[in-house]
Amino acid sequence: MAKRITIDPITRIEGHLRIDVEVENNAVSNAWASCTMWRGIEKILRGRDPRDAWLFTQRFCGVCTTVHAMASVRSVEDALKLEVPLNAQYIRNLILIAHALHDHIVHFYQLSALDWVDVLQIPKADAAATSKLAESISPWTRNSRNELKAAQDRINAVASSGQLGIFANGYWGHPAMHLSPEVNLLAFLHYVQALEYQRKALQVVGILGSKTPHIQNLTVGGVANAIDLDSQAALGTDKLEMIRTLLAEVTQFVQQVYFVDVCAVAAMYPEWFKIGSGVRNYLAVPDLPLDSKGSAYDLPGGYIRNGELGDVKSFKTASDPVFRQSVSEDVMHAYYQGEKALHPWMGETEPAFTGWDGEQKYSWVKAPRFNNEPMQVGPLAQMLIGYAQGHALTRKYTDVAMEKIAAIGGVRPNPAMLHSTLGRHAARAIRACMLAELAQKHWQLLVDNIAKGDYTVHNQPVLPSHEVEGVGTHEAPRGTLSHWVVIKDEKIKNYQAVVPSTWNASPRDRSGAHGPYEASLLHTPLARPEEPLEVLRTVHSFDPCMACACHAFDPSGQKIAVARIL
Amino acid sequence: MKNILIGGIGNVLLGDDAVGPYVIHLLECSYRFDHSVEIADLGTPALDLTHRIAGRDAVILVDCIASKDYEPGTVLLIRKDDLLRAMPLQRLDPHSPALAECLMTANMLGAAPEQMLLVGIVAQSYEPGHPLSETVRGAARKAIDAILEELQPLGVEFKENPSPGEPSTWWSNDLELCSRTDC
Repeated sequence: MAKRITIDPITRIEGHLRIDVEVENNAVSNAWASCTMWRGIEKILRGRDPRDAWLFTQRFCGVCTTVHAMASVRSVEDALKLEVPLNAQYIRNLILIAHALHDHIVHFYQLSALDWVDVLQIPKADAAATSKLAESISPWTRNSRNELKAAQDRINAVASSGQLGIFANGYWGHPAMHLSPEVNLLAFLHYVQALEYQRKALQVVGILGSKTPHIQNLTVGGVANAIDLDSQAALGTDKLEMIRTLLAEVTQFVQQVYFVDVCAVAAMYPEWFKIGSGVRNYLAVPDLPLDSKGSAYDLPGGYIRNGELGDVKSFKTASDPVFRQSVSEDVMHAYYQGEKALHPWMGETEPAFTGWDGEQKYSWVKAPRFNNEPMQVGPLAQMLIGYAQGHALTRKYTDVAMEKIAAIGGVRPNPAMLHSTLGRHAARAIRACMLAELAQKHWQLLVDNIAKGDYTVHNQPVLPSHEVEGVGTHEAPRGTLSHWVVIKDEKIKNYQAVVPSTWNASPRDRSGAHGPYEASLLHTPLARPEEPLEVLRTVHSFDPCMACACHAFDPSGQKIAVARIL
Repeated sequence: MKNILIGGIGNVLLGDDAVGPYVIHLLECSYRFDHSVEIADLGTPALDLTHRIAGRDAVILVDCIASKDYEPGTVLLIRKDDLLRAMPLQRLDPHSPALAECLMTANMLGAAPEQMLLVGIVAQSYEPGHPLSETVRGAARKAIDAILEELQPLGVEFKENPSPGEPSTWWSNDLELCSRTDC
């Protein structure tokens, strides 16, 4: 095997978000969100058996495989009017919760905390003082001086080596960073611990789903988990106990670490409650069904227009008639053919690439609209819709968050201040606490139902020969996900996925209305326009994931050594 | 006994991007390995790759590569130290963390695998729903040779499967086949 050493670009990335901003007087005056790669995955589903669709859809994305599998089986079940047995609902709910907890933890620590935390200030921190500070805000037992010192040593090693590695791209020393060295150190310790706890959440997905990424236990009509309390091969006492322990550990991390850290960041950057609002129309779907029909849910859904919490409308079911009728996708500024905004069941995905032109077409993301208006989706939408409806669990953790922020920072925010960049982070942490509590509940519901002697996990689907339509929704970590399927002659006639990041990263529509990312960036002050940390803070607060929208290799790459096999 | 991961990376729905998963499925069909080796289709794992590689003695990843400088089907080998020298991506889309970033994260934690090799195959096209191009499929054997050569000094025991099956490529089966319940 001969080799030759040469230099070549190489980087894999999950899709490609591009943000263009115009800056006047050190503030954003115009913004465009675009996606740089085509997504045409739905087209390959046409003609296939609808019972197979979920295996394909969970390959849309590498990060959120589970959510696309779930929305897909739900869309077919909706079309077939097929009920899902209780055990299957609870098992699915546990998977969805565990995946979401994993996702929210990773989002905050690994993917956005370093917008607020200055890693290069950590060497200046006093580990003993940090430990004392930590004790004053949380009962977490892993904030000891020794753990903090070990975390500080890691950063010292990185900083003194001159090779910043994973930290090479941060805006360290930026004037918009102003946490004390001690708070920076504490957050970094939790960044390291988060890697451990997000993995525990993922293990729950793996135990129930048989594999992660790409769960294998779904089926249209239920799940394929055999239940036998005495068997180690099936879902039995051993595995249920393992799941309970893992969920308890993750819950403790979420409530004592993640939630507290978000409150602390919010308390120390209060100016960010006034930045990053944008689109104040919010949309969320009910999720975590409590019965086989899907008529009662643990998470509420509905919509709010223009930030009017008093006028909140609720969705009774996950495929509420209002939701079914009101969604359309506009391609005026997206690289697709078509004149009118189309309902997803009529949706088309025919490319018409023109190159980036901010006045005309500039993104591969379509512009989804709800009653022709852009909507913000995600934890903030779900939290506000739940809060406005008086949903007890949402109120409980929202109130705890407000008090915690007040206790640390001295100023008590009100729910109206949550229309902001910090509001999105706070809402995600609030949602994580709610989900952690619901994880215990759904585990107990599953165990109690099995104890009654109900081992049913599946209802057999029957495909009709006439044409049927269905929508499957899931309130995913990034917000409302919907899969829309049309079935004819036992085959898929049309399939469209309207994903959360499509709602949020949407380009302008034919009326010129900005999508949520774009709108949220307008008027953002920039301390150093050449280092737009503030833009990153707001964009990251949405937890963008273009992976479902598209997928790409970075064309501009690295100069590193490559051996070629001749 | 060593702890070794051989992982295929790529989106199976996007033409030649499926080559990573394809190669590891082919490897699984063609050889039997001792218990030191875990073989996994990792999809496009973003940051989740970190805990898949952390703490291992050796990691071999098979992935496809975008390149203007090499012909499609060229097999390239890239080692750990070179991946660590790459510049991490600007974190605009927070789900961008990729192979190099995951290795850097593991390295920062002191848990990078002792040895890591990326076996890359230069792709021809990423058309959604298209099967692997013949050129790229034809390079799979070379990629497997590179994997086996990497395994030998690690003391891994393996033997050829006397009756190798065809690797499952359910994602590119034609529509008739795919409506079967077992595909």
